[in-house]
Amino acid sequence: MLLEARNLHIGYGDAPAVWDASLDVDAGEIVSVIGPNGAGKTTLVNTIAGLLRCRQGTLRFDGADMTAVKAHAYCSHGIALVPEGRRLFPKMSVEENLELGCYLPSARAARTQSLERVYGLFPILRDKRRQPAGELSGGQQQMVAIGRALMARPRIVLFDEPSLGLAPTIVDDMFDIIVKVRDDGAAVLLVEQNVLKALGIADRAYVLEQGRIVAHGLPDDLLKQPHIREAYLGV
Amino acid sequence: MNAARDLPRLGAAIAIGVLAFLPMARLPAFYDSFLYMVFFWVSLSTSWALLSGFAGYFSLGHAAFFGTGLYATAVLTTKFGWPFLPTLPVAAAIPALLAVGIGAIVFRLRRLRGELFALLTLAVTFVIATIILNTPIDGGGGIFMSAVPLPAITATPNGTIYVLGFVLCVATLAIAWWVAHSRLGMGLFAIHDDEDVAEAKGVPTLRYKLIAFALSAAVAGAVGGVHAMYVGFITVSGTFELTVPLYVILMSVLGGSRSWFGPAIGATVITALLYAFISGGEAMVGRAIVSVILISAILWLPDGAVPAARKWLAKHRRASAKQHVAEVAPVVPSVPPVADTVLLQARGVTKRFGGLQALGGVDLDVREGEILGLVGPNGSGKTTLINVISGFYPLTSGSVTVAGVEVGNLPAHEIARRGVARTYQIPRPFVNMTVLENVVLAATFGSLSRPAAEIRDEARHWIAFTGLSGKEDVLPAGLNLHERKFLELARALAAKPRLLLLDEVLSGLNPAEVDNAIRLVRAIRAQGATIVFVEHLMRAVVELSDRVAVLNEGKLFALGKPREVMRDPRVVSIYLGKAYAA
Amino acid sequence: MPSATLLGQALISGVLAGGLYGLLAMGLSLSWGLLRLVNLSHFALAFLSAYIVYELGTTYHVEPWWSAAMVVPLMFLIGAGQHWLFDRFKVNELASLLITFSFAVIVEVAIQLYWTADFRRYETEYATRSIKAGPFYIPVMELVLCIVAGLIAWGTWLWLRRTYVGKALRAAAEDAEIAAAYGVDHKKLAYLLSGIGAAYAGIAGTFIALIATLAPAQIWAYLGVVFAVVIIGRLGNPLGALAAGMLIGASESIAMAVLSPAWAPVVSFSVLIVILLWDPDWL
Repeated sequence: MLLEARNLHIGYGDAPAVWDASLDVDAGEIVSVIGPNGAGKTTLVNTIAGLLRCRQGTLRFDGADMTAVKAHAYCSHGIALVPEGRRLFPKMSVEENLELGCYLPSARAARTQSLERVYGLFPILRDKRRQPAGELSGGQQQMVAIGRALMARPRIVLFDEPSLGLAPTIVDDMFDIIVKVRDDGAAVLLVEQNVLKALGIADRAYVLEQGRIVAHGLPDDLLKQPHIREAYLGV
Repeated sequence: MNAARDLPRLGAAIAIGVLAFLPMARLPAFYDSFLYMVFFWVSLSTSWALLSGFAGYFSLGHAAFFGTGLYATAVLTTKFGWPFLPTLPVAAAIPALLAVGIGAIVFRLRRLRGELFALLTLAVTFVIATIILNTPIDGGGGIFMSAVPLPAITATPNGTIYVLGFVLCVATLAIAWWVAHSRLGMGLFAIHDDEDVAEAKGVPTLRYKLIAFALSAAVAGAVGGVHAMYVGFITVSGTFELTVPLYVILMSVLGGSRSWFGPAIGATVITALLYAFISGGEAMVGRAIVSVILISAILWLPDGAVPAARKWLAKHRRASAKQHVAEVAPVVPSVPPVADTVLLQARGVTKRFGGLQALGGVDLDVREGEILGLVGPNGSGKTTLINVISGFYPLTSGSVTVAGVEVGNLPAHEIARRGVARTYQIPRPFVNMTVLENVVLAATFGSLSRPAAEIRDEARHWIAFTGLSGKEDVLPAGLNLHERKFLELARALAAKPRLLLLDEVLSGLNPAEVDNAIRLVRAIRAQGATIVFVEHLMRAVVELSDRVAVLNEGKLFALGKPREVMRDPRVVSIYLGKAYAA
Repeated sequence: MPSATLLGQALISGVLAGGLYGLLAMGLSLSWGLLRLVNLSHFALAFLSAYIVYELGTTYHVEPWWSAAMVVPLMFLIGAGQHWLFDRFKVNELASLLITFSFAVIVEVAIQLYWTADFRRYETEYATRSIKAGPFYIPVMELVLCIVAGLIAWGTWLWLRRTYVGKALRAAAEDAEIAAAYGVDHKKLAYLLSGIGAAYAGIAGTFIALIATLAPAQIWAYLGVVFAVVIIGRLGNPLGALAAGMLIGASESIAMAVLSPAWAPVVSFSVLIVILLWDPDWL
């Protein structure tokens, strides 16, 4: 098992956000975590990426205990994050943003190769590579964010709401790319509001509501249960 | 006789009496001189704290105001032959104008307000010093003051200067006491803790900062005017050197700059220390010692001695912070008194941030007395809409009217005055004020002025309404999240708003707390408020709302009764995808 | 109205003086822009370096270049040490301003105690040399200062632009959390940058020793101008700091020639106010 999270309790100050969450991601899998807004999805994925500490519980990546690892060392284990809202470095150019992805010495050596790969996936970025990242459209920024993660040559890519704020046609392309990322060798943990898309590409899925995992299993099975409808629509 | 109140007053009266008549005792000149310096530093540090301590805008340029006043008196008496006393009002007025000028430029900037202000005030000092040095005002030769006649208030010139210094000191302390206990002071303390929230609660932040700054500068100028007579021979370098800003900061920081008497204590202690250790002439060693003490104070005692002492005292009588859910009395569910009158009308509301359009023309009517749920996927613009209505962001285009009055581009505190209150998803209480003080502030600035006693009762009422009685004297740090959210509500209600905007008030609460909160929202509406609330907890939205408005991509997507709207296939599709809706 | 030659000379002197402003501004600009820490002690460190170079030169007859080789690394260590203090006590921007201000006062007093307030001049043969170009005189030392300042500004700019460390610093200034998610150890980099800023002050100080007359109170003479230069040149931009320095230097010099020397400090201040009024988001 590549990623193993057990009984995570995560909170901000004294405000608990996630209770007793457990999930697994294996190499070569696409695992989706779906849930409405405010459910705690970003909190969960940020903890797996090392930005937040959990109060209780364990997190293991490829056998290593991640709870003692410093935030800036998570990347060197092979975890790359595509954050909610992209969170690019807006004043830096597209190419500089991508290069930050391969900041780590291990990834730096393959810089040219990785850049070629990213430009191959997203040809428009090659044209815009000297533009400040903040000037790009939402969809293009998302491409940069994904590209940045790929530059780190990760073993798992964490996607936090990649479809946020994107036009529907671009969303389809985005999910095709996520599948491609998995096919190229990285595992994927996908956190999404968009149920159909997220379940459409997932091997397995978890449903997060109000900080708790209320259901998990195969996508088809989950679609048949009432949890999702209640969680999202309240009816 | 109320010991706690009367003893300090008696003590103060005795002290004032003794100090006022000291010159008559004909003690050696040293005492007059030493006490004058104490009065001098007390006045300067207390006046500095009026803006910098109370509101938190650290000024490094107090010497600019002090020096301007000093030179005003010097020039008017020596070069224009004015008698001494009439120069003092001028010595106060010119720095005040200077302060207003600086403030008018800097206080409008939102980013980097604090550091920019500090550096700008420091730079102003040097510029003024240079101007005075290089123009006929001083010209480099200094000014001799010994020929200027003093009014004969006491038998000796020394005595007269002593008395003038003393009078100024008492006046400054009186001003500081008055400000600290007034609306102005309340507003300044709020600005210190969270300026944006203060503005949203109705505090006219720009005006108050300017007033405090002008007052601070005026006092410094008057002190300068008197000091001109004390010094005898004035030079630019002697007046504008760094001693003044450095010492006043240290004295205030040490004593506690948030109280009206903290700086005075710091000033007395430091002046005594300096006199004890430094024997004439070693001013620069004094500066070094002061710097070391300042660094130590900032690192280890960032709030100052007075608050540290207060905290220590307060520990002995703190309310127990039990973990219990404050119970709200259940309200008899009444038929929603939804009128047909429209309270809030938004037309074509558009908001752009640079190239990003967050709201693309929202048209929405909110009926008086209704509870309207505002929902939509992430990024749909819900919080932006709240921010625009409450005035945190100006509109790019469109209009917003509340009870027929256009509020579109008014500053936030004006909108608050017109009956709009909001809460924040992550509670933002004023951290250095107790629960009661937080609510009192909101009640004070929320609407029409009322007598202080009435406001306190009002505040207590709302604190009880939200179940926080018993926690009135607790600081927000001593509350749990649930209680802090209810403090947000109490604060919003104390302003007696017609329209209450709630931003994710339920997030982070456990199920029991959520039920409690829902009951409270219903009780609030039963009191007559109209409520618009942004929420992600859909079950609660459906349960609580009269109508639900769905935003998507910055536009109003659907509006209607909760169950109808949330079953509408188009709404389902924006949340779950098209195929799911079928 | 002064002659064209006078104006031209004023322009040249001003631009050269601006080189020093730019160099002094660079450390402050980098620290404020990239670390959100306002370090006012750079002025004092520059003068401390100047006095040390003076002392080594006059008492021990050490060539200024060798003195610089010793002083600059010393300043680097002091800068990094200051950052250790800030980090340990979790100091915020405003507190850093006050602490570095106090630190500057302590250094000033130390200088005054050791070297007294008397004016000190490091007499070298370089100091008086000038190149004659047409009707204009170009003081050699100041020219060298400008060239060095230019190289440093350009070098720093390249370092920030082209190297991984530079990019990491810029990224961390915009979003430290996400930069960390990609491996950037902001704390380590902050020490490096603090040291570099102080080292630049050391270099500036070496030139001050060679060009100017030293007196402890001089530390504060530059504060107003440099602050204006930092803001006009935009935070975190070394080339901007240099350009703004030269712009201000030239404006001051011409104002002095056309109006009178008294008005020089007002120039930088006025330019600053105009910019802040025109575009409050300039920062």
